[in-house]
Amino acid sequence: MSGFRATLQQEVLSARRERMPQVLLIVFLGMVSVSSLIGWLTHRTVTSVWETTRAAGLTTAPNPFAHAASLSYVKNVVIYVVLIGALLAIVLGVSSTLRSRKSRTTDLVLSRPVDVAVHLGAKLTGMAIWLGAILAVAGALTWVSIALIMRGALSAGDTIRLAAFFGVAWVFLLVFVVVGMLSGIHSRRETSALLLPIVAWSVIVFVLPQLGTAALPVSLLNPVAAVPVEGGAFAGVQQIVGPFALGEQFKTLSGAALGTGSPGSLGLAAFAIVTALAAGLLVLLGTRRDHLRRDLRD
Amino acid sequence: MSEIAIRTAGLSKSYGDKKALVGLDLEVRAGEIFGLLGHNGAGKTTTVNLLTTLLPPTGGQMVIGGHDGTANPDAVRRIIGYLPENVQFYDNLTTLENLRYFGRLSGLRRPDARIDQVLEYLDFTGHENERLGTFSKGMRQRVGIAQAILHEPAVLFLDEPTSGLDPQGVRKLREIIVGLNRDLGMTIFMNTHLLSEVTKTCTSIGVLTAGELRYHDSLAATLDAFPDESSLEDIYLHLDSPRVA
Repeated sequence: MSGFRATLQQEVLSARRERMPQVLLIVFLGMVSVSSLIGWLTHRTVTSVWETTRAAGLTTAPNPFAHAASLSYVKNVVIYVVLIGALLAIVLGVSSTLRSRKSRTTDLVLSRPVDVAVHLGAKLTGMAIWLGAILAVAGALTWVSIALIMRGALSAGDTIRLAAFFGVAWVFLLVFVVVGMLSGIHSRRETSALLLPIVAWSVIVFVLPQLGTAALPVSLLNPVAAVPVEGGAFAGVQQIVGPFALGEQFKTLSGAALGTGSPGSLGLAAFAIVTALAAGLLVLLGTRRDHLRRDLRD
Repeated sequence: MSEIAIRTAGLSKSYGDKKALVGLDLEVRAGEIFGLLGHNGAGKTTTVNLLTTLLPPTGGQMVIGGHDGTANPDAVRRIIGYLPENVQFYDNLTTLENLRYFGRLSGLRRPDARIDQVLEYLDFTGHENERLGTFSKGMRQRVGIAQAILHEPAVLFLDEPTSGLDPQGVRKLREIIVGLNRDLGMTIFMNTHLLSEVTKTCTSIGVLTAGELRYHDSLAATLDAFPDESSLEDIYLHLDSPRVA
């Protein structure tokens, strides 16, 4: 158990001192802190256009924001989690396992009575704590910025909803930490260790949703819900690739958590993300000792 | 601990068709400093990697400090220390942070007092809070020795410990190795291709050629056995040649 704790502490300490995750962290927290402002500006602009249009007698439709949930300002954060947050998670994961290979300290670790599964589990736990701390700060920033815009504190219910959203984000991002860790273990070069999970991420986030529904990947920003596809080839493809489009599944769960409406099946979304995480964990914790000792070629 | 610190019988390692180590039969007594000599590619590092349980053997047996290395590798890992060739550390961590980590992995619950003790022994106090990224090769090597002896191992494995060091660093490290054996009674297994190190530090030697141990005896007996040779270098060249079985 002391080995688990030692590795966990070492992970958190090392991650805190690395530059690339720090840069991404600053970008992520910066985006989160202004996201509510962006949401509020969007709200105000659309409402203003709608009022002008209505005054000119060009529409009788209701204001699209009239019945929007109070946490609708957070919609942008959902996108930032899928885009910047996932990249940050990948970089954290890759750095975690690549660190020992780059510094050639793996043999120092493995010449001690260390179980590989416990060692990697401790690394992942360290990253999970680090990621949890980042999301806790992001959550606090979001809460404060919405409170500033609304000129009042969020209700207890909304605060719980916000916490639930960041909890879902934590589980979703752990999938990418695990993918990054696996890439850091198995890639032969440092550059490919980073590149491969980013390619996987872009397929999951951009390609699979397009193959399935042809809905815009930023449709969540739109106050009008995406039109569901019925019948035809797209629907068939959607049945197959839909569960793998984890970004879309995350948006579904986020919508439910924030009360802003969820476009898909909650059960499927939760199952897809939890299964992806469990499968990744299974592969990660089954890593063999000799895989950890592989030298980098660059 | 048994009187024999390291015993191997038919220990072998192959990578596909390539035989890196062929049927190694070796005994190193407790309290010895054993020097394994051999050219680059002779199989010295493979031998150390097997004995430190970093690599699984493809054949044979090994017993380190009374523990079967293939059946119970964790028992072996608890009683050994290891300094790899060109030891590296987490450069963005300090000496103290690196040593704390490796000390805890070795089972030390509160390693700080022991770290102070070891750094003082190695004459390396004052560098505890410096990050290793700024250290010279010689300084890293001393931190490497520190991480290897923190948990007071019974057997210490050193892979080319003086590789890349300047003459002053070589001398300092040699003093440390002899001191560890004399003061703490550690059995030391050292890989090297430098004869000068062997004569000044080891009590027994082995010569490995193309994965086969061609010779093993005490240093004194080796010098006695080859009276016609003018220097140890000649002896080494003689032993390392294919003529000697």
